[in-house]
Amino acid sequence: MSEAGPSGRGVVGLHADESHEHRHHSAVPYVVVWIALLVFTALTYWTGTRHLGQWALPIALAIACAKSAMVALIFMHLSDSSGTTRMVFATSLVFVGLLLFFTVADVATRFTPATPAGAPFGTERSQPEGLLEHEMPDE
Amino acid sequence: MSHEAEPLGLPEGILAHHFSSLDRQNEAMRLGMWLFLATEILLFAGLFTGYAVYRFQFPLAFAECSRHLNIAAGTVNTVVLITSSFTVALAIHFARSDKPRAAAICLVLTLLFALGFLGIKAVEYTEHFHEHALPGKYYAFEEVKIPGAAMFYSLYFLMTGLHGVHVVAGMSVLSYILWRTLQGRYSSKYYTGLELGGLYWHLVDLVWIFLYPLLYLI
Repeated sequence: MSEAGPSGRGVVGLHADESHEHRHHSAVPYVVVWIALLVFTALTYWTGTRHLGQWALPIALAIACAKSAMVALIFMHLSDSSGTTRMVFATSLVFVGLLLFFTVADVATRFTPATPAGAPFGTERSQPEGLLEHEMPDE
Repeated sequence: MSHEAEPLGLPEGILAHHFSSLDRQNEAMRLGMWLFLATEILLFAGLFTGYAVYRFQFPLAFAECSRHLNIAAGTVNTVVLITSSFTVALAIHFARSDKPRAAAICLVLTLLFALGFLGIKAVEYTEHFHEHALPGKYYAFEEVKIPGAAMFYSLYFLMTGLHGVHVVAGMSVLSYILWRTLQGRYSSKYYTGLELGGLYWHLVDLVWIFLYPLLYLI
């Protein structure tokens, strides 16, 4: 990025070496990631249809994050991108984290009288306590 | 170095006059695309947050509605999208290896996968309409009658609908890039345009990677 220098547009040269490098660029990582993504999809299908109760969501999210990391790093070339580009992506993830964390923290720590009458929030709190998803009768 | 002072046989009009070098232009293009992708990520994050709130409030309704979705269709669509991401990655690989014909074939495959995805999604939507499993006040699904079910379908249609819009947008971008590839614009010397179109398509795939377990596999 910094090599062009004051001599201006004349210095296109630098990328000639770079493009030469790219000519020997290999497709093997893409094939590996594709197979890994298919394996992870099978895995998330298997765990997802077993209804593992309170572990279902963490497992599903962990697998989805692993798949996304592979797509972002290899398919989207973040593993060999400039620091600026990586920082943009990392920053967006930080803000997604902030948004989700504080919103869910709010909802998760409410107690029934704190939810306004008629609001959807807390509707199912009136159902028997301790009834977990996996205990729900299967139809 | 003097022979490299020329833009190395690039097709006309690739290096804009306000960039001092192609490297700088490529880096600016990538950074711009990633900034746009960041806004896209935050757009979907808003919907995912809404999903988190209502799933927390209506865990039973969400689980019950999820079990009435067509898991087979969702799983096949996941495989289709992942494979389409792979073919886009291959298209970029072939373009930068100076194999434009192979790159074009990969792009055509990607477009076919995208059409397949939309076709399967259309079959699913048709089922929902027949069952009246629709958002908000239009919800009249006989099989799930508990509070929160309508909210699940509102979020389901919003999230898959916005994702579907992105699939259509991605297909338009990739069609344009396919046309440019056939014109011989992309090579080992320049392939950034193709790369950026690919980035958009991978984002579409990224969003679906989260939608699939959150909607179909509760």
